[in-house]
Amino acid sequence: MYQALKIIVTGRIQGVGFRPFIYSLAKKYSLRGTVQNNLGTVQIIAEGKQAALSEMVQELTFSHPPLAKIDELTTHQLAPSYYEDFTIIASEESGNALPWVSPDAAICVDCLEEFSNPENRRYLYPFINCTQCGPRYTITERLPYDRTHTTMKEFEMCGRCREEYDDPTSRRHHAQPICCAECGPALKLYHTAGDVISGDQGEITQVIDLIKQGKIVGIKGIGGYHLACDAFQEKVVARLRLKKRRPKRPLAIMVKSLAVARKFCHLSKQEEETLTGQTRPIVVLRKKAEGTLPDLLSPGLSTIGIMLPYTPLHYLLFENNELDCLVMTSANPSGFPIQYKDESLHDLADYVLTHDRKIHLPIDDSLVQWDGDRLLHLRNGRGLVPDPIKTNDQVDDIIALGGQQKNTFALGRQNHVIMSPHIGDLDNEEMIEHFESQLSHYRKWLGVEAAYAAVDKHPLYTTTSLAKNLTSHVIPVQHHHAHHVSCMEENGLGEPSLGIILDGTGYGDDGHLWGFEFLYGNADSFERLAHLHYSPLPGGEKAVKEPWRNAVGMLLNGCPEEGKKLSVELFPEKTKQIHIIEQMVKQQIHSPMAGSCGRLFDAVSAILGINHHSTYEGEPAITLSDYMNRRSTHSSNKIYTYSIHTGKPVMQIDFYSMIHEIVQDKLNNVPPSLIIEAFHNTIISCCIEMIQKLVKRRPDLNKNVVLSGGSFQNIYLTRHIQKRLHLEGFTVYTHNKVPCHDGGLSLGQLIIASRAVNK
Amino acid sequence: MVRRISLAHGEGGELTHQLIQHLFIQSFGHQDQTQFDSAILQGPFENIAVTTDSFVVNPIFFPGGDIGKLAVTGTINDLAVSGAIPEVLTAGFIIEEGFPLPDLKKVVHSMAAEAEHAGVKVVAGDTKVVEKGSVDGLFINTTGIGRITGEHQLKPETIREGDAVMISGTIGDHGVSIMSARQELGLLNEVQSDCASLNHMIHKLMQEVKGIRIMRDPTRGGLATTLVELCEEFHCTVEVDELAIPIRDAVHGACDILGFDPLYLANEGKLVLIVDRASQQQALNLLNKHPLGTEAKVIGQVTAQGNTAGKLHVRTPIGTTRRLHRLSGMLLPRIC
Ligand SMILES: [Fe+3]
Ligand SMILES: [Mg+2]
Ligand SMILES: [Zn+2]
Ligand SMILES: [Zn+2]
Repeated sequence: MYQALKIIVTGRIQGVGFRPFIYSLAKKYSLRGTVQNNLGTVQIIAEGKQAALSEMVQELTFSHPPLAKIDELTTHQLAPSYYEDFTIIASEESGNALPWVSPDAAICVDCLEEFSNPENRRYLYPFINCTQCGPRYTITERLPYDRTHTTMKEFEMCGRCREEYDDPTSRRHHAQPICCAECGPALKLYHTAGDVISGDQGEITQVIDLIKQGKIVGIKGIGGYHLACDAFQEKVVARLRLKKRRPKRPLAIMVKSLAVARKFCHLSKQEEETLTGQTRPIVVLRKKAEGTLPDLLSPGLSTIGIMLPYTPLHYLLFENNELDCLVMTSANPSGFPIQYKDESLHDLADYVLTHDRKIHLPIDDSLVQWDGDRLLHLRNGRGLVPDPIKTNDQVDDIIALGGQQKNTFALGRQNHVIMSPHIGDLDNEEMIEHFESQLSHYRKWLGVEAAYAAVDKHPLYTTTSLAKNLTSHVIPVQHHHAHHVSCMEENGLGEPSLGIILDGTGYGDDGHLWGFEFLYGNADSFERLAHLHYSPLPGGEKAVKEPWRNAVGMLLNGCPEEGKKLSVELFPEKTKQIHIIEQMVKQQIHSPMAGSCGRLFDAVSAILGINHHSTYEGEPAITLSDYMNRRSTHSSNKIYTYSIHTGKPVMQIDFYSMIHEIVQDKLNNVPPSLIIEAFHNTIISCCIEMIQKLVKRRPDLNKNVVLSGGSFQNIYLTRHIQKRLHLEGFTVYTHNKVPCHDGGLSLGQLIIASRAVNK
Repeated sequence: MVRRISLAHGEGGELTHQLIQHLFIQSFGHQDQTQFDSAILQGPFENIAVTTDSFVVNPIFFPGGDIGKLAVTGTINDLAVSGAIPEVLTAGFIIEEGFPLPDLKKVVHSMAAEAEHAGVKVVAGDTKVVEKGSVDGLFINTTGIGRITGEHQLKPETIREGDAVMISGTIGDHGVSIMSARQELGLLNEVQSDCASLNHMIHKLMQEVKGIRIMRDPTRGGLATTLVELCEEFHCTVEVDELAIPIRDAVHGACDILGFDPLYLANEGKLVLIVDRASQQQALNLLNKHPLGTEAKVIGQVTAQGNTAGKLHVRTPIGTTRRLHRLSGMLLPRIC
């Protein structure tokens, strides 16, 4: 029977080869009609046999091009108009659907084949791409996604590229960044002292030689620049660390192939798939014990972040087998935003390999880690952003500005939340400028008015003052409530849930610093049911950067006399300071009170002599959690003593006895790995016991628990709390695509604000 | 036995009279001017500057000074940075019952010495004694009067991009000295308060250097708060170089332990000024020759002027730019 269907598809369907795909489907099933792009929707009118139509819809739904993402698909019966053929008709530039943009994608298999084929006209051309791969987000100036709206507008297509572009059967039909050696961007290599290096050798050969000679080369990529050097030359790696002012934080490396990755790291099936997928993030992998990677790349850690080449240019670097493992770290000194202009590299690199395709919107590499079957997004960037999140809340024209560190912001448009990529720490004007320019780009692109701005309640966060310039409707959201709701939203939870929020420090409703919280509620409101007993942070921010202070603060707070004696015994070289800190704590001079899981890890790390000072955010916690992930078997069931004070309506955990016992163990030379294991197990047991106590006291509470906050980057902690709660009959939810750390705050803030607005 | 102040010292009778005659007038002198209920000043002045300030420092004696010296220098400096030549002071004392008389004497003598050193007369005063617990020991209020001559006009409206920002010496000394004296923190007490009258140095500066736009004394809230207020008031953006700001090692050390930022610590003998770049070197030479300005430095410059300006930026040692705000009274870590 001859029928007509109107199919409307919304989602990421622009610039991803969607119309040519529809066209080929129509041909395959002998259908007639039209396909047309509106902003954010594709409208298909298809006529033909009923069976063919339904098969076509099936294939459309389940086998669409990998870069496409269908958000909604609706079909309506129509009276047939008896078209003669199937045609693609011109786009309409109006429409009110959510304007989706494709993330940037790694070079696809088809392009890679052409790239490696000496017969192909794009053989070894570093900018080869098609509708299924190449730059997208980073070159898009405005929508609709069209060549003239990208930074590729500066290159005029040659006749042969134009032919492919116009041909609906070509896999480069409407591939906006289409180009070739004849008409597209070209490489340029120069010495940062000034001279452009030309020569018959070719830029790539020279770059390979320079890297082998121990030079640092800035390489322009998709969303910014990398600093590249040979991962096996410790001297140059050390020099790079000095230039980046990054003494210990792990450096990402890029390896030639999966085989090389396998040589150095343990790889699961999932890890292999993630390494080679179209996103190509940096994947945190476990180093092989017998591996030969220099320790300097991720000092003291059992893991390292590895990625595979993702642009044709990267493939060229590895082409002649002279290199197989490069440090590829973003080209910005720590504290600065990602750099995306040649000039900014001069102090960092010896040479710069650049090209003339402009980066409009910079973006960092994404960072992910597998925990068994769970993929954790530690930093959302290239290849993952943008990825609108559907919500049931009315979020239109609400902007959430996120936190102070690992900042992301989020915008509400229709029934979607769009989260920005990782921005960084908003501690200086350079970062604030970066934040503001990104935000204004997103607002323009999505057409979002800043009717309401959600911010953290911390009065000193940069975002708090920025919000005032955006709108007069500023909605402050408590830090850990935002973490809680962020996890609920990601898991589609609407009913009030329990939340264990283990975090660094966030501003609490009582003016103290929170960070070890047992909450109950949803986006409408929350109750604080229990928390860690407060202890002083002598010196405030200084105590976060110098964990030993924090340990002394806890010891002095738990037992002033003995605490001081133990402090001096643990940190004899700090005796002079400890006398002063004692007075600071006693007289409450610059010693804010905090109950925080992150600070607890800091203190234990300092007591064990592992990190007296923290050279990057979260270093002590990362180091301790690494101890747990290093070994596959855990021997002891030892836990330390703690108490739970149930006297008050808000229960409190007291870990002083644990701290005391840890100090004793340390002084008695118990191996650190055993202490760390018992410490982890104590936190886990305490969380379980607390949840049990809470539901016993309040049997009406829903038995759902969300786990959020930066401390849940600790895989051992997450896994065991989840497992134990599950055994107790709770349903446990964790973060996946949204980071559990402050990078996830913006989502929670936005949902909480939308409830406040629509109340 | 230490004699103490009693409520009767403030009742206006014989004891009051004795206190005034034997302590205040003897210390401050100028009997001829104090015969009337108010002091009579002799003119003519072109313009008169008046300022008043109350001093409630705890402890009353601290390394490098005491509340009396502070009450004199504080008010003199407020006059001097406005371009005035301080002439006379009045002093009001609110004394807690039981306050040791020898301490009061020490304070008054120290005031007198500082006033004489600064060339300023204390011409009127008042004393009240209040019941124990009503005040903490001793409060002093001083009012200062100065004259402004033609050559002493400041012209903040002429601030422009490129002007130099200078400080007359190390910052944070007073803040640290008070903190270590008050809190018995120990080991911090090698820092002396910088408490000093700046009027002579400023006078010389104003006489010899053209193009001084504005001056301030960065007291409470420190250099940062003072500059933020300057920037906002006169619509200019200033960038200072963190490494150029003179800070004593001991102050650095104290801040390091306590977690404070020296930019926000009080100073009681420092001058911050914005000066035409053309006169920068001359001003610096002149300051460096004066005992109170030997460590004077150019610490930054005006980077923008106009309606959109008005921020204080600090270039950090790692090359980033930090915007500073007023002292917030809150020192909560922002690190999660
Ligand atoms: Fe947090
Ligand atoms: Mg004053
Ligand atoms: Zn491709
Ligand atoms: Zn071409």
